[in-house]
Amino acid sequence: MALTAPKPRPLSPHLDVYRMTLTMAMSIVHRITGVGLYIGVALLAWFLLALSGDAMTFATFTGFIHSFIGQLLLLGFTWALFHHMLGGVRHALWDAGIGLDDPLRERLAQFTLVGGVALTVIVWIVGYAVR
Amino acid sequence: MNSSYRTPLGRVRGLGSARLGTQDNWLMRITSLALIPLSIAFVFLVLSLLHKDYHGARALMGEPLPAVIVLLFVLTGVYHTELGMRSVIVDYLQGQLREFALIANSCAAVALGLACVYAVLRIGFV
Repeated sequence: MALTAPKPRPLSPHLDVYRMTLTMAMSIVHRITGVGLYIGVALLAWFLLALSGDAMTFATFTGFIHSFIGQLLLLGFTWALFHHMLGGVRHALWDAGIGLDDPLRERLAQFTLVGGVALTVIVWIVGYAVR
Repeated sequence: MNSSYRTPLGRVRGLGSARLGTQDNWLMRITSLALIPLSIAFVFLVLSLLHKDYHGARALMGEPLPAVIVLLFVLTGVYHTELGMRSVIVDYLQGQLREFALIANSCAAVALGLACVYAVLRIGFV
């Protein structure tokens, strides 16, 4: 068989040729929150390992999580989890053939956006209020 | 319409360029559905751990139900994360960088998952 240089693969037009729409932005945010949740899992691993150690290792973790950066990360984790979860529900509905058409499609995107923020706010209020 | 006893999934399983694509897609759907109740349970657990000190948190995490919730959440979560990250890597990276990223992704997912499992078991048994 003759050696030939591999032909460059055909590329589909990338995002920038399209007008930005809400559903498109939501698709991008779904990916970003998904990747961000990787950091959330790392944070959870640190918490569990710290708790499995002694009071000192746990104090190091709680010191970090109560810092400004720690709280910001935890807030981001909460929002990413809820946003990604509601986005996942949207995907499940699409898999069932529901919500692909115009009015419902837009409503679902808005619902995910508002719902993710609302659930985050509720959980943080509960977190700070209930002791 | 369809006289075969084979399900639509069974008919396409093992086909496609990667031969495993349908399985990945299916497992992505299954894990995402499982993660809805698991994430909600996890959030409730974190809320009840929030204002506890070291001994209180350790006592709660040492109980069977919280431990099993976290184990299920972590194991389902890292599997889902690995699959999701893999499709992001395949979409945006090419060549050798893609190969390195795919390996790093698998290693990170397994390492994070095992670290969490080890920690939960240690809390429960040590």
